[in-house]
Amino acid sequence: MEILSRVHARNLVEWAKDKPNVVVLSADLTSSVEIDLFRDTYPDRFFSMGMAEQNMLSFAGGLAREGFLPFVHTFAVFIYRRAYDQFADSIAYPNLPVRLFGFLPGVTTPGGATHQAIEDIAVLRALPNLTIAEVGDATEMETVLDAIHPIQGPVYVRMLRGEVPRLFPKPEPFCLGQARVLSTGTDLTLFSSGLCTEEAMRATQALALRGISIQHLHVSTLKPFADPAVLAALKQAHLGVIAMENHTIIGGLGTCLAEMMAEAGIGKPLIRLGIPDTFLHGASKPYLMEKYGLDALALVRQIEKLVGTSLNITRQDLADIRLESVHSQAKAEGL
Amino acid sequence: MTRSSNLEHDKLKEIARQLRLDALEMTTRAKSGHPSSCFSSVEIVAALFFGGILRYRANEPHWAERDRFIMSKGHAAPLLYAALATAGYFDRAELLRLREMDSPLQGHPILDTMPGVEATTGSLGQGLSLGIGHVLGARLNQQTFRVYVLLGDGECQAGQIWEAAMAATHFKCDTLTAILDYNKYQEMGPLSREMGIEPLAEKWRAFGWHVEEVDGHDLGALIEKLDAFKQIRGKPQILIAHTIKGKGVSFVEQDYTWHGRALNTEQAQKAREEILCN
Repeated sequence: MEILSRVHARNLVEWAKDKPNVVVLSADLTSSVEIDLFRDTYPDRFFSMGMAEQNMLSFAGGLAREGFLPFVHTFAVFIYRRAYDQFADSIAYPNLPVRLFGFLPGVTTPGGATHQAIEDIAVLRALPNLTIAEVGDATEMETVLDAIHPIQGPVYVRMLRGEVPRLFPKPEPFCLGQARVLSTGTDLTLFSSGLCTEEAMRATQALALRGISIQHLHVSTLKPFADPAVLAALKQAHLGVIAMENHTIIGGLGTCLAEMMAEAGIGKPLIRLGIPDTFLHGASKPYLMEKYGLDALALVRQIEKLVGTSLNITRQDLADIRLESVHSQAKAEGL
Repeated sequence: MTRSSNLEHDKLKEIARQLRLDALEMTTRAKSGHPSSCFSSVEIVAALFFGGILRYRANEPHWAERDRFIMSKGHAAPLLYAALATAGYFDRAELLRLREMDSPLQGHPILDTMPGVEATTGSLGQGLSLGIGHVLGARLNQQTFRVYVLLGDGECQAGQIWEAAMAATHFKCDTLTAILDYNKYQEMGPLSREMGIEPLAEKWRAFGWHVEEVDGHDLGALIEKLDAFKQIRGKPQILIAHTIKGKGVSFVEQDYTWHGRALNTEQAQKAREEILCN
């Protein structure tokens, strides 16, 4: 598997080259959210706003009103927890074209609960006018900017950083509102999002060898949530549906699917794999994924429940786990 | 004062009187709103729009070089709408639709719902940050317009105001002028009791702003100070305008229980008579 580093840093600089109205805003996390290269390349289009996110978000609204396309960057928690009011009234309500990049989703930081965005999608999905995207690999990070560019209103992107795998072929870009079909099958339907897709893929290979036929879709648009392919995949699930997400099971992908199923009258079991209703500890990503039950083996155990039999899959049968040597180029501890 | 400036002053005073009447009629008709918060800001808004401070073209609301006016104390929306209608941005008949279902004249201003409404405000504390966005946008676009933000005193209790105060100085926003309607009352009572903001001028000075104080109902003094601000270089300016909450209606003045309450028809009639006599 190809592993890439600082994908967003390089991509943003290249992408913004011929877009002079793109300005980047930082709240003292310039290196940690990979916009240092942009700052050094286009210093006139970079604003250091200090550690003052409420001011930064309203400021972005004012800039957007003057014809700019502000790209707000910080850890996700500081966008939706600290500055939700400003997000709502300075950006979303007037429907201004501001792009907000939220870093450190869920288990991606050992920094602990104050830094882990576990409920950002739940909170922001309720905000009118907003589009929500979540990237799952390097290809999506490289292409999400193009995908959201035509949107006139605000967009929240749940972003990754550091070392990121390329799971999807480079010529297959992020398509807003369209899930990716990663495997086809009829026994059950599996939906995964964000970095859970890599975990899910570790399991689906072993499951295929045991004869389990899985329809696996990677979902990268959380709002609007109206992909006909998702609905079709829900309908065709024979034994049931599994959602797997790096987010609290309340209000994220699993909830979106539950709502869609209920509204379409699809009465099948739905298993929501995600962060349980709790604040997390700080630890490495693989440790947290195992502890909170959102790694490949946890998925296998849930599928065994749906299938009704043990598949005799052990940790050794799964594709190798990928240990990251670097969470962030900015800080060794990966904060 | 010369004869012609006396005439100008009389004309401006008449406009201010009409703005006060408009805010009264609109809120009474809607049976809700914040008339007393409008009354304290009347002369400030009159000086800005009709005293030669703001540059604008009412028939060209998106004129690129217009000065931006942000009503950060969004609950004074009726006064903003009245000023915009008086300036010719839209028909005065629209004013009667305040807070009606499907009316663009909502209780708090919404960006672009009516010509001349530059910002969505109402959640207090956000207007100054929006203003800095306009200032730095103008700088990148090499435009020369100025940005005016009308602040309430209660919103100076919000942390975001001081984040913005810091940023405006950091970015040397000398085309940014804040006017603070210092009527000294908020919803639940006097600021000094609810949450004191003094020493106010010293706070803004400490944050690096050019600070002046003025009688916020003295049209001539307001215009003189705001005119002089245009010459200040290198730092943002704030005019602390000492005002009277509910100014112009004796039984509303300084009575904070009127903060979020409209006058009924009878009360409005008495108020109208007082405003016309002043």
